[in-house]
Amino acid sequence: MAFAWKAAGITYNRYLAVAARVVRRSLKDDKRLQAERRGEMDLRFAKWEGGKQGENKSLADANQADMAAHAGQSQ
Amino acid sequence: MNSLKVARMALRAAARSHPVQRRGYADVAPDKLRLSLALPHQTIYKSQDVVQVNIAAESGEMGILAQHVPSIEQLKPGLVEVIEETGGNKQFFLSGGFATVQPGSVLSINAVEGYPLEDFSAENVRNQITEAQKIAAGSGSEQDKAEANIELEVLESLQAALK
Repeated sequence: MAFAWKAAGITYNRYLAVAARVVRRSLKDDKRLQAERRGEMDLRFAKWEGGKQGENKSLADANQADMAAHAGQSQ
Repeated sequence: MNSLKVARMALRAAARSHPVQRRGYADVAPDKLRLSLALPHQTIYKSQDVVQVNIAAESGEMGILAQHVPSIEQLKPGLVEVIEETGGNKQFFLSGGFATVQPGSVLSINAVEGYPLEDFSAENVRNQITEAQKIAAGSGSEQDKAEANIELEVLESLQAALK
């Protein structure tokens, strides 16, 4: 089962997130406002090496960069 | 000392001759399915006995009844229909996830988002379809186009379900 999104480098996790985002946006306005809050993610991380904290990066941006780099690698 | 032993043996004999006539919690009635339908933020069904569940799996639409063979199915974004014991019929649009049938007629469906059809707005769906079509046909990055295509797949399924 080859998925088009997998060929473009999108991970299953990201696929689920995009589908969920669309479903939330399609709700009637009263439920939509509550639901959209669930979609917010603002996670930052930093790599530690040799006891020193590296640069603080946003997880969303890092994932996006990784997916673009891996596009076309998996089937 | 001896009387205690005799009493204990008598109690055990009594318990053995009247076994507890109960179905254990793990046993489902032979013609029912035990359904658990859960989202990360909400449990729609929690170990509830139902008659039939229709799901939209990637391998095709399927209806799951009691005594179904154990299987794991990836779900397409689509409608899940639950036929309850009382004869009621409930439909939910799920954004995607997995359905697992376990031995003993236990069905677990996990999805990220799921709502009954009346919670959706056909207008919001239409607007999003137009937006997504623009991005998919546009000149953005491959990722943006792939994501727009994912959105279109979900929206088309949702639009068909809302009709």
